[in-house]
Amino acid sequence: MNTVRLAKLALLHPIQFFEDIQERAKWHYAFVMIGLAILAHYLSLNFSGFLFQTREPYQISILIEALWIVVPWLTWSVTNWGVSTIMDGEGKFKQIFVGSAFTLMPYIALSVPVALVSNLLAKSEASMYNGLELFIFVWVIFLILLQVKIIHDFTFGKMLWITVLTIIGMFIIWFIGLLLYGLINQSIQFLIGIYKEINYRF
Amino acid sequence: MKRSTSKRVMAALMMLVMLSMLSLPDEAGAQSPYKGYTYNQSEETPISINGYLYRDSIDGYDWFAGPLKEPEDLFIAGDDTIYAVDGGNNRVVHFDKSKRLLGIYGDPGGKGQLNGPKGVYVTEEGEVFVADTLNHRIVVFSRDGKFVKEFGAPESPLLGAGFVYSPSKLIIDKRNYMFVVSEGAYQGLLQIDPNGVFKGFFGANLLGFSWEKTIVKFVATPEQKEQLSNEKPPEFSNLIQDQEGFVYSTTLGIPTSQVKRLSAVGVNTLTDIEFGDHHMARRNWERLFSTFIDVTVNDKGVFTALDQTTGRAFQYDKLGNLLFIFGGIGEQNGLFKTPSSIAETSDGTIYIADRTRGRIDRFRTTPFADKVHEATNLYVDGDYEKSAEPWREVLDMNSNYDLAYKAIGKALYKSGKYREAMDYFEMAKARDDYSAAFLEYRKQYMRQHFAWIAGGAVSLYVLLKIGFRLYRKWRSKRSQSKIAVSEGGSAS
Repeated sequence: MNTVRLAKLALLHPIQFFEDIQERAKWHYAFVMIGLAILAHYLSLNFSGFLFQTREPYQISILIEALWIVVPWLTWSVTNWGVSTIMDGEGKFKQIFVGSAFTLMPYIALSVPVALVSNLLAKSEASMYNGLELFIFVWVIFLILLQVKIIHDFTFGKMLWITVLTIIGMFIIWFIGLLLYGLINQSIQFLIGIYKEINYRF
Repeated sequence: MKRSTSKRVMAALMMLVMLSMLSLPDEAGAQSPYKGYTYNQSEETPISINGYLYRDSIDGYDWFAGPLKEPEDLFIAGDDTIYAVDGGNNRVVHFDKSKRLLGIYGDPGGKGQLNGPKGVYVTEEGEVFVADTLNHRIVVFSRDGKFVKEFGAPESPLLGAGFVYSPSKLIIDKRNYMFVVSEGAYQGLLQIDPNGVFKGFFGANLLGFSWEKTIVKFVATPEQKEQLSNEKPPEFSNLIQDQEGFVYSTTLGIPTSQVKRLSAVGVNTLTDIEFGDHHMARRNWERLFSTFIDVTVNDKGVFTALDQTTGRAFQYDKLGNLLFIFGGIGEQNGLFKTPSSIAETSDGTIYIADRTRGRIDRFRTTPFADKVHEATNLYVDGDYEKSAEPWREVLDMNSNYDLAYKAIGKALYKSGKYREAMDYFEMAKARDDYSAAFLEYRKQYMRQHFAWIAGGAVSLYVLLKIGFRLYRKWRSKRSQSKIAVSEGGSAS
């Protein structure tokens, strides 16, 4: 019940919400929100009209779709916390972690209705559908920026600067992640190779 | 006595059974070395029923003039007899459907001697025009094989210096102008009038725009730029003329629009289609390119193009919808080593010449192809409603055939059954048609249920308004009572 009230607050009074969340952040809120976001994403993929969905149901994997939400959210939280701690931000990791999950609230609330509306639209009215999607996107971006500003108590200029740094940091994390994946893969292959070689010898 | 009669009856019966087995075509047992497939809207290749199967070959071993050697080009005359350029023997042979040799063109010496001929065209009067490639000329023979005249290299400042005239294919249009493919001529088809005078290029291919080239041009030195400008537009490889006077041509080295239908003024009237196989194999990391070397068209506008890389023939309807794919590279009957030319007779048999093997393979339609042709001929003429019935039969045979769903959808759309049409368009993944049907359906639905929709909207509005007012009242009451509690008064 508390989560629902907070979610409503995030949608209708975001400034008050981000001030409240600094005191009332609990870990499980974040997981509930992300779970809902994944659910909403999956439902919207399934409900959108034939004209606006180019993929077949069998081409959609819930695991991959979930990763598209979870991975950016986790890297954002970690990077934003790291960057803002260095740059005199006030936010704690818990606040960023939970607050970021709540910034997806517009998507959770609106993506399924938009998907349902897309069933009533023809191809010539695609601009309406795209406009609605853009509206959700802009709202989410707005909440993210507001979160950075309020949780860390930054000025407007510094808020933008930290956001840019965070995005750069996210790319660095992804790059290193891919690099590590590649290297570990190689070394595991190497070990397997050595094992096979020795096996053949003796 | 009695026993022997019954034996005789038995034997006669056996004979009858065996004879009937011999005469019945063995459809089920007809094994084909290639598997039928088609492309759907999602660029996948679902299995399809074969449209064409190998029937037999013509190699000329029973001709007194000796067998074929490196056949280069086929031409079907109006009476369905076949002219084949027999390149390795420097002659053109004329034969009919039952493989009877009717004539030979090309003299052993003198003016009528051919040298590496590559193309042939026969007029309605029976005059045989041969593209005598290595002699750089076009030779005309009379119907009975006598040398009549020759057209040498055309002269014009338009052709540019260093132009080498190597005519390889030709047609003659209704004005008796020759349209000639000259190997290496990237400016287009050469138009030559009946007197042998060059009259200009026709249907030139254009160099496409590419970002890569634009960026390279920015940073290249003048010397490098000079090399860049040597890049030539793609050249034509073959051409044929349909009954309405449209020129079908094939072009080498481009990924789309390899087959063009050129109008009288040289404009391509087929939309930008990727012909041939869409996912070509790689060899040495390089993606293979399709090499369309010949095309044939029947009187209904169904055209079949031949790709030398995959050895497959691709058949399309008048609008460019893929109908069938058959053939391939290999050793078995029905596959080719180096296919060089394709032609279709009026009975629907397709002839494909194989240069390396030195023979001409014949393919016949399957019952499935006959049904598809029946349906598509009605469909391209816009007779959607009549075409729906044969298309349904096509789907009974092969439910992977997406074109049939689209066509039935169009028929339903035309007869006003928009809801059903939507289902068929969805199965065919025809999004534009689906959208059109959906718009009509939505309009119809709104009109039929207008009272309900309008009434529903009004009552919803009223309900919300009342509900909101009640909610507000309830909330303010509650907060008042809360205040009362916090102030220490009684809540009741």
